[in-house]
Amino acid sequence: MRHLFVPVLLLAAFLHPGTASAQPANPPGSAPAAAPANAQVYFIWPHDGSVIEGGKFWVRMGLRNMGIAPKGTAVPNTGHHHLLIDTGLPPMSEPIPNDRNHLHFGAGETEARVELPPGTHTLQLLLGDKDHVPHRPPVVSKPITITVR
Amino acid sequence: MRPLFAALVMTALLTGAAASATDAPANAYCYIGWPADGAVLPAGKPFRVWFGLRNMGVAPKGVAFENTGHHHLLIDTGLPPAGQVIPSDRNHLHFGAGETETMLDLRPGTHTLQLLLGDDKHIPHTPPVVSKRITITVR
Repeated sequence: MRHLFVPVLLLAAFLHPGTASAQPANPPGSAPAAAPANAQVYFIWPHDGSVIEGGKFWVRMGLRNMGIAPKGTAVPNTGHHHLLIDTGLPPMSEPIPNDRNHLHFGAGETEARVELPPGTHTLQLLLGDKDHVPHRPPVVSKPITITVR
Repeated sequence: MRPLFAALVMTALLTGAAASATDAPANAYCYIGWPADGAVLPAGKPFRVWFGLRNMGVAPKGVAFENTGHHHLLIDTGLPPAGQVIPSDRNHLHFGAGETETMLDLRPGTHTLQLLLGDDKHIPHTPPVVSKRITITVR
């Protein structure tokens, strides 16, 4: 199963520097967007410990005390969802990577259809600002563990 | 000649109305994730309403981004006229900051809830992206 991921990761590694250099996501002098202290991002579905049959499922992304805005949109107290799959938190002062382990929802999506291979997986939500940089303070969910079989 | 003129005016009016509404994908799906239709909720205790949206995204008011809109929660009222700005009052709550949930505190009785997506100008899309209307009881 691991060999399936390698080409995808290579492709992401190949694509990402290009997009980063074409459009500096966090130009010098622009600080990450501020988030309200009571902002909270969380999984509506699935729940921590869920067992999913078949591998395909909807992820429903919940957000409290903030709003959703697509990438590139500078509206105070907004951001867009990023779903981290089987990975830890990225650096908080840089744009969130864009690859198979870091799914971006820059069109303002609040749910996503995800398919994962059998096994246990960790999922975590991280809000990004208009430049895909985590807010200050970061708005991040508790990591959850699910089992696909 | 006169009927033809009338027809032209009608066409102009109709296309004008259509041009002011933003297109939505045919498979866009809006729903109330919580509470469930028929739910009975305790009086005096605010409850959360989850706004579900598939195949579209959320954007705050004033943001024109393709295939997005913002949620409006209709309480104890029918659908407002298509092609017009959704009213803003106690029966039509606007979530122009891009919110995807809210807390509601309703007085005891039965109530209907329905979600209606509005575009950057608070006008329903074409076709309208609207949830099923649910009925809940507070007691």
